[in-house]
Amino acid sequence: MASGAVAGCLGALLGLGGGVFLVPFLNAWLELDFKTAAAISQVTVIATSSAVSAATTGRNLINLRLGMLLEVASAAGGVATGVTIAHLSDVTLERGFALIAAIIAVLMLTRLERRNVISDPTVDPGPLGGRFHDEESGGEVVYKVRRLPVALGVSFVAGNVSAAFGIGGGILKVPVLTAWCGVPMRVAAATSSLMIGVTAVASVPIQYANGYVNPPLAAAAVLGVLIGSRGGLWFGARARAKWLKLMMAIVLLLVSIIYLRRSL
Amino acid sequence: MTADPAFLERLETRLGRLLATGVIASAAFLAIGLGFWFPNPQSAAALWLLNAGLLVLMAIPIMRVVVSFTEYVSTRQWFFAGVTIVVLVELSVTVLVALSRRH
Repeated sequence: MASGAVAGCLGALLGLGGGVFLVPFLNAWLELDFKTAAAISQVTVIATSSAVSAATTGRNLINLRLGMLLEVASAAGGVATGVTIAHLSDVTLERGFALIAAIIAVLMLTRLERRNVISDPTVDPGPLGGRFHDEESGGEVVYKVRRLPVALGVSFVAGNVSAAFGIGGGILKVPVLTAWCGVPMRVAAATSSLMIGVTAVASVPIQYANGYVNPPLAAAAVLGVLIGSRGGLWFGARARAKWLKLMMAIVLLLVSIIYLRRSL
Repeated sequence: MTADPAFLERLETRLGRLLATGVIASAAFLAIGLGFWFPNPQSAAALWLLNAGLLVLMAIPIMRVVVSFTEYVSTRQWFFAGVTIVVLVELSVTVLVALSRRH
């Protein structure tokens, strides 16, 4: 339950499911087999997603239209991997994941100063963009969504990765949406938080039916994550965007190292 | 197809309420289930409560998509209603596969 709390706190903070911390803990520390660890983690992703999103509503940070559109791709990715996972080798997947995480971490670090918001509130955000009250600049800001195919592509891959590793997939989506698609960090994190619940549900029922979800362990992890995500939300509201990006890059590098070591 | 801020705000509030209710219900089942499970891991009531909590949890995102669909249809936003129905079809594939594997 304690690991769930830590994972929930960090997950809520970064717009991730927190699974990226929980899976290594359950798998390496508690010595559960990988599929069980990933399945339990997927269940906690649903809890984080729902709890964090419920608390984030009303601030225009969640982009419901963009989220739903990207869910088409992420759910498809989740279903595809959920059904075919047995044919994929863990080692190949882990190496690929380590590589992707490392590349994105470097990308995040090189774009720390960049912000996607337009300070002129009269600019038309277009069908998928939006506006929200920005705490850092103190006024209403606008953003436009660019390169939608890139966003859809990364959402599909996030769905694959989510089903394979039991992580939310926000770890891939948030950096790409921020770096390439014009979405501000906080909007990307809030929208991703909402999306990962649906992404996880695209594969969790299959894992549940296969018997990989151990009910008491899953319950303890879910309750821990729910407690931890409260802390993450509190902290997230007080942290600066640049600081969040730096922290995310560090987390990605650590995850990359963990997975590389595991696959060797 | 520009975004209607009032509609999106109402939808967001409604979905927020749905998510919060689902999380509280699920957490209550899981917490009480764990309470029964600790002293007696074989307790049928405990396992029933734990599984009920997990099923409620899995139902939350599905219900969110269903509510979004009805909202988009009632406001005649056909593009997003279509997008939502595609997501629902994908999720029903998973549920059907899960049901077919369950013994």
